[in-house]
Amino acid sequence: MLEYDIVIVGGGGAGLYAALWAAENTILKVAVITKVYPTRSHTGAAEGGINAVLTHSVGDSPEAHAYDTVKGSDFLADQDAVDIMCKMGAAVIYDIAHRGVPFSRRPDGRIAQRPFGGASFPRTCYAADKTGFYILQTLYEQCLKNNVTFLNEWFLLSIIHNGERVEGITAWDVRNGGVHLIKTKAVILATGGHARVYWNRTSNALGNTGDGTAAVLRAGLPLKDMEFIQFHPTGLAKTGILVTEGARGEGGYLRNKDGERFMKRYAPEKMELAPRDIVARAIQTEIDEGRGCGPNGDYICLDLTHLGEKRINERLPQTREHAILYEGVDPVKEPIPIAPTAHYSMGGIDTDKLGRTPIKGLYAAGECACISVHGANRLGGNSLLDVLVYGRLTALEAVKYADDAPETNPSFAKVKDDEKRILELMEASGKEKMPQLRRELGEVMMKHFGVFREESSMKEGLEKLYEIKERAKEVKVYDTSKKFNTDLISVLEFLNLVELAPAIAIPAVERRESRGSHARKDYPERDDKNFLKHSVIKLGEDGSYQLSWKPVVITKFPPEERKY
Amino acid sequence: METVKLQVFRYDPEKDAAPYYKEYEVPVEGTLLNALLYIKDNLDPTLAFRAFCRSEVCGSCSMKVNGKTKLACKTPMKELVETWKGKPLRIDPLSHMNVIKDLVVDIDKPIEKMKTLIPWLVPDPRVVPTDPMHESIIYPEEMKAYRDQIHCMLCFSCYSACEAVEDNSRYRGPFAFSRAYRFQVDRRDIETAKEKRIRYAISGGLWSCVQCQKCLYVCPKGVKPAEDIQNLRGQSVKKGFTDKPGARKLKHFVDWIYATGQINRLYLPEEVYGNKEAREKLTKAYQEMGVEVWEVPKPTKGLMKFRDIYLEILSKENKALELDFSHVRKIDKMVSDIFKADICTIVDRAHERGESAKGLIGKLKELLGGK
Repeated sequence: MLEYDIVIVGGGGAGLYAALWAAENTILKVAVITKVYPTRSHTGAAEGGINAVLTHSVGDSPEAHAYDTVKGSDFLADQDAVDIMCKMGAAVIYDIAHRGVPFSRRPDGRIAQRPFGGASFPRTCYAADKTGFYILQTLYEQCLKNNVTFLNEWFLLSIIHNGERVEGITAWDVRNGGVHLIKTKAVILATGGHARVYWNRTSNALGNTGDGTAAVLRAGLPLKDMEFIQFHPTGLAKTGILVTEGARGEGGYLRNKDGERFMKRYAPEKMELAPRDIVARAIQTEIDEGRGCGPNGDYICLDLTHLGEKRINERLPQTREHAILYEGVDPVKEPIPIAPTAHYSMGGIDTDKLGRTPIKGLYAAGECACISVHGANRLGGNSLLDVLVYGRLTALEAVKYADDAPETNPSFAKVKDDEKRILELMEASGKEKMPQLRRELGEVMMKHFGVFREESSMKEGLEKLYEIKERAKEVKVYDTSKKFNTDLISVLEFLNLVELAPAIAIPAVERRESRGSHARKDYPERDDKNFLKHSVIKLGEDGSYQLSWKPVVITKFPPEERKY
Repeated sequence: METVKLQVFRYDPEKDAAPYYKEYEVPVEGTLLNALLYIKDNLDPTLAFRAFCRSEVCGSCSMKVNGKTKLACKTPMKELVETWKGKPLRIDPLSHMNVIKDLVVDIDKPIEKMKTLIPWLVPDPRVVPTDPMHESIIYPEEMKAYRDQIHCMLCFSCYSACEAVEDNSRYRGPFAFSRAYRFQVDRRDIETAKEKRIRYAISGGLWSCVQCQKCLYVCPKGVKPAEDIQNLRGQSVKKGFTDKPGARKLKHFVDWIYATGQINRLYLPEEVYGNKEAREKLTKAYQEMGVEVWEVPKPTKGLMKFRDIYLEILSKENKALELDFSHVRKIDKMVSDIFKADICTIVDRAHERGESAKGLIGKLKELLGGK
């Protein structure tokens, strides 16, 4: 048994920033467990930037940032939490800049900012088109500096709690094999999103499988607003790999097969720089109505050719490289084929405005959490901010709690359970093949819970998801070795997705309105009277999904029509 | 569908007595990573490799293809098939690290090594405000100094390809020096940390790099560790760390070339390694071979003009300080003692006699031909 005071699960932006703040503010024993080496976490793929109102952002204010965020969220975000996040923007930006993040600078040496979708001021701080990468690398350096304990390549299995407070977790040591009990007073989950549930069409890394979120669900604890999944408008047509919003920020055009800049029909003012949900729906509509490009009419063209080679090389080097490498298209010469791609989970572990779950000592931060600061649709540049603000806040909360909390006494029963579960997977029938089933899961999610949704289709989809969940019991792990068993990890990740899928589907069916990323053809309008509320879902004793609702916190900004 | 055969390195230390290669037929489509995922999904779920982002930012999937270090997600299958003309492609784990299983290697050791070089910012309070709401001003031009180094994503390709890692287990690895150097040229980093980094770099094998430049070629992100290592060496000399053979060699090169236009092959062993007998032995050997030897190389044509140019170049590179003028004066004195005149006269006289470099080669040819 391993023993710590605070365990942080996940080594991405939120996890590392939490570790850093915990390490610098306490003598408690802190450890980070992560299924990949920290610098490989998906924060590193965040390109565009991080929103914050800085001291030199003339005319802008945290309040304006909060308003944009709330409006972007289609008024589903909790305004007290948004207020905290936006007010802390400058503090976290300066903090990480002081630690070495190489933010792009203005000629006068101050941090540069650029316009981003849905923002009323240019307030997105950036470091070329690799902002998340530099933040992740810098935070890792700083964690090394502070001698943070890392358990690299450990996989979270279960959360242990007694209904009141958290007692520990169980985890699989990937490198050596074996289930371990980790005793701890506080746990911060920073395990990232679950958009991999759309397996065949997502911008996410292979491992964004909602491991923490699924563990919370299995622990009988609530998830919130799971129906909201953001589709990024511009994923490469073949692979779903992301083309940054910066490509449109720099002046890229979206064109259909007639060469028309169709955004003028959807967001005449903001055009290509409307928020992501609106642009994604516009693209999907063009494709659905037969105005897509290519032989199958299944993509749209992102035209950067008018920007010229020099500007593309300077501002969007990674975009050009990826287009050539993964799409076989040089954006200097031809438009890039793109289509919406599953990108971000607005929903996740239900927490309050400080990242606390209903269980004492259990916190969540970053994409796995639903605070909620993004509501029904996240603005570009707000995820890195969320990651840092809540990484830091949960760390301080955890320190405060663990400092006074008595020792915990987690039982070994969970270890036995998990060991049994893994053994059963290795001895399963193998009637179903995991990769095949995973593809089916992705197809069902995309077809029935994609950019546009509709009651009868979703109900049909939900039935299929239950069916996949049943069939998943026949999935077998073929690799029986202990060391670095990636077959086992892939199957565990897949099973997490299988558990999360109905948690997305059920509230999607029940939310009979269109709000943010949740766009229903049968209910095209937002319905504040009936649905200005969070969906909350958890597993009952019998393993059934139980849906309930809870109010949205509204302070300064009363809901209004959302127009761009 | 076009296919190609991959021969993949397999080794499970729990089960296999020795590593072996297993052959898989994969479609020539997408990247090498797609091919490996194809194997895992369709042919053999037990194959172990690391992969995560799929888009060349996380550095997980570095490996070797027919001996060449590649990032799998950045390597199109078509390109591999064209390069190797459809021959089987042998996929190996990275070198210089222990294999955990199949293509997965233990990267803890290089990370531990890197940590010793202080690869993080140690802020100078005079530049970085301690007030968290106060911005520290950085001008865009000064960021150019480390614009390449910050791309390092810890894929360990350079560590695998490095010649020095092979020879010296204490050697920190190319990426580690680059990541340390990044802070050596950051104005925000405090001077005491910079000096410490140099000490640790020297102790970590700074002078062991043989400048084979492999790191520079294998880096998928355009980092140039070999250059950073040269610059760190320059910094170390400038900071007065001159007691290492590498530093002394540098000093020998710089000083003798300035003084005479060439290095001194007789004095090199003594000045670099303190080997006093080498000069005598070499002199004797050259004489026996019938090769004319001078204790001091004859100054080359246009030496004084050359000195001006050389000095100008060094000062542009901000390395003029590395020239040890007292050493140069000593060399000058040797030159005048041997040739019985001051350095300016010798050069002029040599030219008058038409003893150019061409003449010298002719003379050597005569000698060799005469034997």
